[in-house]
Amino acid sequence: MGCNLDLLTSFKDNCGFGLVADMKNRPSHSNLEDAITSLERMMHRGAVAADGKTGDGSGLLLSMPDQFMRKIATENGIDLPEVYGVAMIFAKDLQDIDTFKEFCEQNDLKVVLTRDVPVDTDALGQQALDSLPHIIQVFVVPSTLMSSKRFDAMLYLTRKECEHKLIDKKDFYIPTFSSKVIAYKGLVMPTHIKKFYVDLRDEDFKISFSLFHQRFSTNTLPQWRLAQPFRAIAHNGEINSVESNRVNVKIKSEQIKSEVFSDEELGRLFPILQIGSSDSASLDNMFEFMLANGVDFFKAARSLVPAPWQNAPHMDADLRAFYEYTATAMEAWDGPAAVSLTDGRHIGCLIDRNGLRPSKYVITKNHKLYITSEYGTLDIDEDNISERGRLQSGQMIGLDLKHGKVLKEDDINDYLKSSQHYAKWLNDDMDYLQEYIEDSFLNLTDYKVEELEKKQKYFNITYEAIDQMIEPMAKDGKEPVGSMGDDTPMACFSKVNRNFTDFFKQKFAQVTNPPIDPYREKIVMSLETGFGRVQNILVETPEDAKRIKVASPILMKEKFDVLFSFGDEKSPRYDEYYKNRVFSTTFTTDLKASLKELAANVVKAVKEEGVSIVILDDREINENVKLIPMAMAVGYINQALLKAEVRHSATIVPVTGEVYDPHMAAVLLGFGAQAMYPYMMYATTVSLYERKELTKYEMQRVLKNTQKAINAGLLKIMSKMGISTIASYRNSSLFDALGLSDEIVNDCFPDAHSELAGLGYEDIEERVEKSHFNAYHDDNHMFPLDLGGFYKYINGGEYHDYGPAMTRAMHNKSATAKDEITDFDGLKKLVQDRDKKFVRDFLEFNSDKTEISIDEVESKDEIFKRFASAAMSCGSISPEAHEAMAMAMNTIGGASNSGEGGEDKARFGTLKNSKIKQIASGRFGVTPGYLRSAEELQIKVAQGAKPGEGGQLPGHKVTPLIATLRHTVPGVTLISPPPHHDIYSIEDLAQLIFDLKQVNTNAKITVKLVSSVGVGTIAAGVAKAYADKIIISGGDGGTGAAPLTSIKHAGNSWELGLAEAHNALKANHLREFVHVQTDGGLKTGLDVVKAAMLGAESYAFGTAALTLLGCKILRICHTNKCSVGVATQDEDLRDHFTGTVERLISYFTYIAEEVREILAKLGYKTMEEIVGRSDLLKVIDDEFAQKFDFQNVLRRIDGIDTCQKESNEPFDDNKFEKELLKKVHKTIENPNVPVKVNTEITNLNRSFGALISGEIARFYGDTGLPENSINLNLKGIAGQSFGAFISKGMNLHLDGAANDYVGKGMNGGKIIINPQHQGQDFAGAGNTCLYGATGGKLYVRAAVGERFGVRNSGCISVVEGTGDNACEYMTGGIVVILGNTGVNFGAGMTGGLSFVYDPDKAFVDKMNQELIEAVRIDTDDTERERLYLKRLLLDYVHETESEAAQHILDNFRAETRNFWMVKPKNMTVLPLDPDEGD
Amino acid sequence: MLNFTKFERINPEKRDVLQRLKDFNEIYEVFGKQRAKEQADRCMQCGDPYCHTGCPLGNFIPAWLKQTATKNPDLAFALSNETSPFPEILGRICPQDVLCEGACSLNTGHGAISIGAIETHISETAFAKGLKPKFTDRKVDKKVAIIGSGPSGISAATFLLRKGYQVEMFEREDRAGGLLMYGIPGFKLDKSAVDRRIDWLIEAGMKLHLNCEIGKDKSAKELEEEFDAIYLGIGAKDGRYTGMDGEKEASNVHLAMDFLTGIQKRNLGSDVEFIDVKDKNVVVIGGGDTAMDCVRTSVREKAKSVKCLYRRDEANMPGSKKEVVNAKEEGVEYVFNVSPKSLKVENGNVTAVELLTTSMSDPDESGRQRVVINEGSEYLEEADVVILALGFSPEKPEFLKELNVETNSWGGVETTNYQTSNEKVYAGGDCQRGAHLAVTAAVDGREAASTIINALS
Repeated sequence: MGCNLDLLTSFKDNCGFGLVADMKNRPSHSNLEDAITSLERMMHRGAVAADGKTGDGSGLLLSMPDQFMRKIATENGIDLPEVYGVAMIFAKDLQDIDTFKEFCEQNDLKVVLTRDVPVDTDALGQQALDSLPHIIQVFVVPSTLMSSKRFDAMLYLTRKECEHKLIDKKDFYIPTFSSKVIAYKGLVMPTHIKKFYVDLRDEDFKISFSLFHQRFSTNTLPQWRLAQPFRAIAHNGEINSVESNRVNVKIKSEQIKSEVFSDEELGRLFPILQIGSSDSASLDNMFEFMLANGVDFFKAARSLVPAPWQNAPHMDADLRAFYEYTATAMEAWDGPAAVSLTDGRHIGCLIDRNGLRPSKYVITKNHKLYITSEYGTLDIDEDNISERGRLQSGQMIGLDLKHGKVLKEDDINDYLKSSQHYAKWLNDDMDYLQEYIEDSFLNLTDYKVEELEKKQKYFNITYEAIDQMIEPMAKDGKEPVGSMGDDTPMACFSKVNRNFTDFFKQKFAQVTNPPIDPYREKIVMSLETGFGRVQNILVETPEDAKRIKVASPILMKEKFDVLFSFGDEKSPRYDEYYKNRVFSTTFTTDLKASLKELAANVVKAVKEEGVSIVILDDREINENVKLIPMAMAVGYINQALLKAEVRHSATIVPVTGEVYDPHMAAVLLGFGAQAMYPYMMYATTVSLYERKELTKYEMQRVLKNTQKAINAGLLKIMSKMGISTIASYRNSSLFDALGLSDEIVNDCFPDAHSELAGLGYEDIEERVEKSHFNAYHDDNHMFPLDLGGFYKYINGGEYHDYGPAMTRAMHNKSATAKDEITDFDGLKKLVQDRDKKFVRDFLEFNSDKTEISIDEVESKDEIFKRFASAAMSCGSISPEAHEAMAMAMNTIGGASNSGEGGEDKARFGTLKNSKIKQIASGRFGVTPGYLRSAEELQIKVAQGAKPGEGGQLPGHKVTPLIATLRHTVPGVTLISPPPHHDIYSIEDLAQLIFDLKQVNTNAKITVKLVSSVGVGTIAAGVAKAYADKIIISGGDGGTGAAPLTSIKHAGNSWELGLAEAHNALKANHLREFVHVQTDGGLKTGLDVVKAAMLGAESYAFGTAALTLLGCKILRICHTNKCSVGVATQDEDLRDHFTGTVERLISYFTYIAEEVREILAKLGYKTMEEIVGRSDLLKVIDDEFAQKFDFQNVLRRIDGIDTCQKESNEPFDDNKFEKELLKKVHKTIENPNVPVKVNTEITNLNRSFGALISGEIARFYGDTGLPENSINLNLKGIAGQSFGAFISKGMNLHLDGAANDYVGKGMNGGKIIINPQHQGQDFAGAGNTCLYGATGGKLYVRAAVGERFGVRNSGCISVVEGTGDNACEYMTGGIVVILGNTGVNFGAGMTGGLSFVYDPDKAFVDKMNQELIEAVRIDTDDTERERLYLKRLLLDYVHETESEAAQHILDNFRAETRNFWMVKPKNMTVLPLDPDEGD
Repeated sequence: MLNFTKFERINPEKRDVLQRLKDFNEIYEVFGKQRAKEQADRCMQCGDPYCHTGCPLGNFIPAWLKQTATKNPDLAFALSNETSPFPEILGRICPQDVLCEGACSLNTGHGAISIGAIETHISETAFAKGLKPKFTDRKVDKKVAIIGSGPSGISAATFLLRKGYQVEMFEREDRAGGLLMYGIPGFKLDKSAVDRRIDWLIEAGMKLHLNCEIGKDKSAKELEEEFDAIYLGIGAKDGRYTGMDGEKEASNVHLAMDFLTGIQKRNLGSDVEFIDVKDKNVVVIGGGDTAMDCVRTSVREKAKSVKCLYRRDEANMPGSKKEVVNAKEEGVEYVFNVSPKSLKVENGNVTAVELLTTSMSDPDESGRQRVVINEGSEYLEEADVVILALGFSPEKPEFLKELNVETNSWGGVETTNYQTSNEKVYAGGDCQRGAHLAVTAAVDGREAASTIINALS
C-alpha cells in the first residue's frame, strides 16, 4: 500500500542454471561432480561478494541418492523399506521440526529418522553464517498401506499443510520433501557447496540427475530459503506476468476438483501459491501442484510456458489445437524464462516464446545430457560429443529416464497434439464472434449518441483529445506520435478535469527483464480474448473447449451484439452458460456506497442467478446522474467477486465512454475487464467524419482504424512489460497508482503499486461532480466542447511547467547583454510560485542549522562538476545545438551527453567532445574509438519519455552526416529496438558493464533507469552488477518522438524514484559503491537542492538546456521542422539556430549561484553534506498537501548517503587478458611488428579482446592497427562477449566454440571460430552475436544462436546456421548463412544484405516479409553478387576449411541457385564491393 | 500543417492607392478560401501556442487555423467565435503585429501566420454561407443593463445572452457601436459589420435603447431598481490637449474624435456638421492609431497636405506598423522627433505650430528610451487645421455619483474583478482601464459578463 517500506528490500532474481543427467538413469557420484563443476564455472552469472564466499545462493536438486540414504539409515539402525521419503528442512526453531512431524503423523507418514545434516560452516560467508538455520533431514515411510502414488501425494500435502501452519516463521523452509528428489542448497557459493554439505563428498552419494542453479538477486539481503532450485524447477529469467498469474490461480482455485486429493484435502492444500514468494517460486508451486494432481509432465510444462501459437501460421494445426485448448484453462506465465524441470521420472528444459534466456545442451556418446546457460562449463572431450545445440524460442527438450530417451521438440509436440482430440473439441464447442457477423462498422445507429457533445464533455473528449488522439487514430490506424516530455502535474495534483485512468502509470521492464518489440516481433504477440467460465485446470474434457473467442478485447457494436445475444434470454442464440446482465454504473450521490451496492448486485447475480457475463454500462449518464469511474467499478467488482469466490464464473465487459486511447483500455484490462465496447470513441469518430461526407466504406475504414490503433497500443503497453498475450496481461495490475487513498487502492486495486497515498472516495466524487456540472450545467455556446490543454498548453487548461511564461522567462527577449539573456529571477519566481504542481513543490526546507555567509559555501565551480546535460543524440537535435551543449558543459567543468547515435570523431579530444557517451539499444556509432573517447559510458536502459520502448529515425532524417555517425547510408530508416539485445536480465547487464569496463578501463559506467515504483530493487541490482553510477530519470523526460500515451502515462516523477532508489541502495548497503544522478524538469537551484536532499549527487538538464539554446517547446521535433533549428537536420532551418554557448554557461552559473545562496541560508557549506538529507525537507503547511502521504519520499533510513568509492570494481579482474595485453603491447607501441600468441581459453574468460581493443583505441581511435597486427590463436570454449568491440588489426582464431555475444560491437579485425564439429547441426557460438557490429569479419564454421547479426551495420560474416530473429534491425554489413535459419528472419532489417543457402526451399516462410525481399542470384543481372559471394566463400574456406563451403564452391554453378539474396525492399544500390570478399 | 517552409507569409491584398483614396471603403480584400487554407497551413501547432497567449482574448488560434487548413470552415467558425464576441471585426482592427502575430513562433525569421486576415476570412465566409452566432434557448430570469454600446458593451451583451440572461443596452448616440461605429474610420472597418453584430444581439433578445443618455433620458436610480446588474462600458472619449496656449480657443484646432465622428456620421448619411479639411494643410499631432486614422481620413477628405507630428522616432511609435505603411502609401508625411512648443494664432486661427526637435536617449534599465528635447531647435510648421490625437481620458458622467461608483485620480472607474464600489454595478473597457484597444475592451466585456453571471447565480 501507500507505505512502500517493503519495496526497499524486495528483489528480483536471475541467474545461471542447468542440469546434468545420465540418460540411462545410472546413478553415479561423477554426475554430482559434473553438476557442481558446471555450477562453479557459471559463477560470473551470479553475484559474488568480496570475500568470495557470500553470494545470493546456489543449489542442486538431485535425484534421490538411494544408496547414500540407505547407508545413513542403516548406520542409524533403520532398515528403509522400498518406499520412503526424505524431507530436507531449514529451521531456526527446532520446535518447528516437531510441528512438521505432527503433520506427518496426521497424514499416515511414519517418521523413522531425524538427522542433522552435517555441514562445514567454514564454507560460509559472514552473512550466510549469521542466518544459518538448522539443516535437518526427516525420513518417513508409509504408516499404513498406501500406493506409492498416494505416498507422494501425502508428502506433498504434508509439506503444504506445514508451510501454511508456519507461514509466519520466515526461517522455516522445506526445500524438498519427496521420495524421488532432494535439494542441497543454500547461501553458499558453488565453489563451496561441496565443502559445506559434507554429504556431497561421500562417494556413495550417487545421483542420476541434477538440476542446478546460481542466483543473482538484485538485493544484498539473501536468505537461505530463496536459493534455487525449488521442488520441481530451476528458473532463469523473470515472470513478467506473475501478478496476473497469481490472481488467476486464485480464480482457478475456486473451481478445482482433483482426482488425487479429496475436496477436504484440497482445502488443506490451498492456497496453491505460497504468499510472499518470488515469481520463480510461484511458478514452481503451480507446476508442482499440477504434477501432484496427476497432470502430465509435458502438458503441465507447456500449458504454463506455451510456444507462441496465435500468430504462428506455420504451426501444425493439431499442435495449435492443443495450445488453443490448453489456453482456455491456463494463460502463459510469460516472460524471459529458461526453466529446467523434473518430476523425478522426466527431466526437461524449456525456453520462453521469445527465446530471451540462453539454454545450451550437449549430448555425449556416453549417454549424458548437459544443459547449461553457457557452453564450456565442463571439459568434455570433443570426440565424445554427439550433439551440441541450443533451445530455440519456445522450444522444449526432455528426457524420459525410465526409457532413457531424449525427447526433442518434435517428439514432445507429437505426443501433446495426439494425446486428445483437441481439434474436434474445439470445432464442436468453440464459437468465434466474427463468424456471426457479416461485417463490422457498417451500421452506425449505435454511434449516434444523444446529447453527444455533453457526453463528450463529461468524458473529457476535448477538442484536443479529438485532434491529437482520436482523429489521428482514425486516420492512420495507429496511435499518434508527439515529442518533448510531459510537463503537467500528476492527476492527483491537478486542478482540471482529468480522466480517472490518469491516476495510473504504466509499468515497464527495465534490466531484470526485457521489453518486447511488438512491431518487429509480433509473431509472439496476441490479443486473442475468450469469454466463458474458468474450468477445472486438472482435467481435460471436451466441454472445457467451450468458449466464445474474439481476436481483440476491443469490441464494436456488431461483435458486442453477438456476444450479448449469447447471454440474452430473449435471443434465439441464448445459452445459459453465457447468461448476461447489464449493470448501469450511474450514481447520484455517495460514490462509495453506490460502488458497494453495485458490487453487491453483481455478486448476487453471479452467485445466485448464474450470470456469467457482467456488462458494466455507463450509457445512462444524463444531467441528473453521474458515473462511477469505470476503472474503479471494474477493480472493485473484480475484488468483490474474488472475495465471494465466484470470480471464475464471471467475465466483466464494460460498455464505456471512458476509453478512447490505448492507456485507458489497458487500465481496464489490467484491473480485470475481459473486453470492452468503447462506444464514445466510435461515436466521436462518426460525428467527426460525418462532416466530411464519407462513403459508408470510408467511414467503416476510419472506425476500424480507431480499433486497430487501440489494439496496436495495447500490444505496445503489454510489450513494454515484456508480456506477449493479453491473457497474461489481464488482471496483472501492472500500474503504479499515484495519489489514491489506501482505502481505494485496497478496495479496487490491491495488486497495483501505490505511491503518495492521497485522494479518497469523497475527493474523487468531488471531481466527478465537477466534470458532471461542467458537462451538463455549464454550456459553451459557439464551440460545445472543452478545448483541452492536456497535451499542449491552453489558457485555463492543465498546467504546463514549460508553458509560455516559463519559456519566455528563459528566453528573456528584452535582454540585451549576453549574460542577461535569461530572466532568472522571473524563472525562479515562476518555479517557486507554481503552487503544488509537482512532488517537490509540496516540500520546503527545514534546516537544522543557522544561516552562514555565502563566502563559506563551496564555489560554483565545485557545483558545476555535478551538472550534466541529458542525453540528446546528434540526430534528434541539430549538430549546432549538440556542439553548443558540449562546449558549454566542458567549459564549466560539467559533462555533456552524446546521446544515442555516435559523435563525429573530429570532436574527440576537443572542447566539443561529449564526456558522456551513451550506449543505447540501437548501438548506433558505438565503436571502440567512441567508447574510448568518454569519461563516462552511459547504458540507457530506459528513457523517461517512453520507457520500455524503442524508437525509429525515419530515412528522410538520415542525412549524410547522421549516416556517417551511425555507420549506415543516408536515407536508411534506423530502428532502435525496445530492449538491449544483450540485456535480458541482471546478469546480462553485469556482463555488458564488464565489457565496457574492459574496453575503457578509465570510464565510469552509468546505468540510466526511469522512475517507477520498484526502481529501488532495480537500482540495487544494478549496483551489484558493478555499475559506478545510477541515473534515476523522471518519467517526464523529453524525446524527439514517442507515442503520445507513452509520453503521458509511463514513468513516474523523479522525486518518487530517486527517494526509493536512494533508500533501497542504503538498505542493501550499496549506496557507498555507486553515485546517483537524477533528471527530469530541473530548472533552478531550488530544484537542484531538493534533488540533492532526496539522494542525488549530480543533476542532468535536458529540456531546460535545449530551451536556453532557443527551443520554444513547439513539440514538433518529430516533424523535422523545428523552426528554431534546434531539433532538425534541415539545412535551411538550421540557419535559424540562434543558441550560444555563453547563454548556457550563464544559465548554469545562475543555477549554481542560487544553489550557493540556498546552502548558505540552510547553513551548509557543500552539496556533499546535504545529499540524502531528506530530513532537511518537510511537507508544506497546506490543506491540500495534508491529503497526501509523503513518507516514501521523505524516508531516510540509516546508512551512508553518498558514494565513497572511486570505482565499483567487478569481482572478475580479467587477469587472463591483462597478461595477454602485456604480451601484445609492443605491437600497439609499434604497429609495424605483428604479434602472434597461442593460448587456451575457457568460458570463464569473458569479453575477450575488449581490453586489448580498448588499449588500441586509446591511441589510434577507430583507425586501429594495420591489418593482421595482433593474432591471437585460442583453443577451448570462450566465455561470453568473445571479441566484443574489437578494433581493426586484431584477429582472433578460436579452435573451439564460443558463448553469447560474439563480436558484439566489433569494429574491425577478424574473428574465426572453428569448432571440431562443423556444420549447421553443431553450435559454434551463442546468441546475439554481432549485435551493433560496425565492421570486421566473423566466420563461424558451425551454427550460431538466436538473433544473429542484430543491428549489424558493417560486419561481414559467414556462419553455417542461425536461430530465430537473425539479421533483425540490420542496417549494414553482409551475413552469409550456409544452413538453416530460424523464424522471423530480417525483421526490421533496413540495410545490409544476406545470402542464405536454402537447398530445402524452406527459407522464404521464415522471413519477416515486412521490409525485406529475397531474390535469386542465378540471373544475368546478378553477376556481381555471385562473384562477391564466391570470393567471400573462398576466403571463408581459406580461414576455416569448412566442408560445407568447400562443397558449395566445388559445385558453385549448381549451388548458386540454392542461394537467396535478402535485401531491404527499397534498396536499389547494393553495398557490395567484391574486393571486400577477399 | 507545418508548411511554413513551403509557403511564405502573405498579407491580404490591398486595393490600389488611387482607388482607395476616392472612398472610405475598406482597403483590404478578405482572403479567398485557397489563400486562407494555404496561409493557415503554415501554422506549426506549437506545444506552447504563443499566439493564443499573446491574444488578450486567448483566442483558440491554432485550433481554428488547423480547421481552416483542413477545410472544416464550420468548426473554425465555432472555435473562433467561442472566445471572441466579434472576431471578424477584431481580425480587421487589432494590431496583430504586437499581439498574436507578434508572438507567433514563426515571427522570428519565417514570417508570422496572417492570423488577423484568416480570422476575418473565417467569419466572413461563414456569414456568407448563412451561419450565425449561436445563443442559448434557455432563459435566465436576470436582467442586466449595459450602458454604452461600444466594444466592451457588445462583448458583455454577447456573453450574457449566450447564457440566457436578459440584456438591455443604453446608448446616447443615434447608432450603436460606440468607438467601432464612430471612432474607427470605414476604410478600416465597414460599418455594416458593426450593425450586423448589433442586429444579432437584438435577434437574440437584447433590447437596444438609442439616443438614451443615462442621467438625462433615464435616471440611474431607475436602472438600479429595474436591473439585477449594471455594466458600464462607457469608454473614454475625452480627448487630451497639449497644454499649449490658445489650443482650446482656436477655431481650427480639433480633437481627433470630433473630427472622425463628424466625418463618419456624414458618410453614414446623417445630416451633420463636420470638419472640412479639403484643400487645407492638415497637421495631426500624435503617434497612435487614432492619429493614423486622422491622417488617413484627411487624405481621403482631399486635404492639400497631411503631416503627422510625433515626439519619438519611427521605431518607438505606438501606432500599428501596417497603418503607417498604409498612410505613407496614401501620401501622408511623417515628421518624427518633434515636440510642439506653441501655436501661432492669428484671428483666432492657428497658422502654424512651433516645434522643437528631439532625440532619443540611450535605453534605461527597463529598456525604454526617453525623449530628449534639443534646446534651441525651434522651427515652424504651417497649418490650416490642427488635429490633436494625444489619447483619451474617461468622461465622468454625473450618474456615476448617483450610483455611488467611485472613480480614481485619472477618472477611471475603480473596480475589483470588474465590480465597482456599488456591488450591483460592473465596469470594463476604456472607462475602467483607460483608453486601450478594442480587443481589450472585448476581453473586459467577456470577463465582466462571467463575473456578473457568477454573482447572479
